[in-house]
Amino acid sequence: MIRVGAIADVHFSKNSAGRLADHWQEMHNSVDVFVLAGDLTTHGDPEEAAVLARELQVVQVPIIAILGNHDYDSNKEAQIRRELESVGVMVLECESITLPINGKTLGISGTIGFGGGFAGACASAFGEPEMKAFINHTKDLSAKLHAELEGLHSDYRIALVHYAPVKDTVVGERLEIYPFLGSYLLAEAIDSAGADLVIHGHAHHGTEKGVTSRGIPVRNVALPLLGRSYAIYTLDKFKDEIPVTKEEIVSAEMENPDLVEAVA
Amino acid sequence: MNTDYQYIVGHLQTALATDPRVNLLDVKIMVTNDKVHLTGDVLSENKKRSVEEVVSELYPHLEIRNELTTIEVGRPRGPEVISD
Repeated sequence: MIRVGAIADVHFSKNSAGRLADHWQEMHNSVDVFVLAGDLTTHGDPEEAAVLARELQVVQVPIIAILGNHDYDSNKEAQIRRELESVGVMVLECESITLPINGKTLGISGTIGFGGGFAGACASAFGEPEMKAFINHTKDLSAKLHAELEGLHSDYRIALVHYAPVKDTVVGERLEIYPFLGSYLLAEAIDSAGADLVIHGHAHHGTEKGVTSRGIPVRNVALPLLGRSYAIYTLDKFKDEIPVTKEEIVSAEMENPDLVEAVA
Repeated sequence: MNTDYQYIVGHLQTALATDPRVNLLDVKIMVTNDKVHLTGDVLSENKKRSVEEVVSELYPHLEIRNELTTIEVGRPRGPEVISD
């Protein structure tokens, strides 16, 4: 079992110090890993990222992050990344990481993603070069996400994106802005490669829960939507697995004494 | 309705998105009878004040009705189990 804490769109500014540290400092009691799904700053200013980095120092579990569109606004995303990495945050952009947690492995592939809309009402790479560039950027990031997910050989896989991969989790936003909130191309890549969970942000007025065409759970963890400092998702697809090593038996005994007794 | 109002809304949306004091993309703006109504959620009182500042700098002759709500961030709830 792996417990994932997740939040997006914290939008830290230079005067945000102390806003969430109180909520985050006891996080290790309820989660094994903490993921941040982009829009970590307001203006993409490295000083804003430094405030967040100091706030994150109270977190006692591994922290994985991607950046969001706000983090790119000042063209200083590399500096933002360095600020976060200076306190141990692992920042992904078309990259993956695998962590050993509770006897299993968790792989996370991350990218900011991009827009274009969802099936039935989406933009195409057609016409002016600017329009083609817009959609081709989404296609490119989706293809990279697909490759990253396929390269993971972990027990659990999470796709971490900022833009929404499905329409379900943007419902609540104005219809007119759907194409700027995400793209079905991201979901297609995730469905093709496979994952246990998709986490995203960006749609502040969307819906927390959705699902891809092939049934992969999608969770929108934008802070303005959740109204809480993080959500907790427990990945537990191996709960019925019979333990085979001594360590697994000890672990299973602690989690489920009845199961071990039945096996014995 | 004064049709210029729609352009004012457009200019204000652009200003709120790009001004580094604010950078908000989702403030709802309505302009009627020389009044600007601002609604939606912001993360701090400071941000709420900054929105008003930007609007008043751009259109000082308009009266501002700042009805933005500051989000109260709550504690995490119990976990959701994702089995398959």
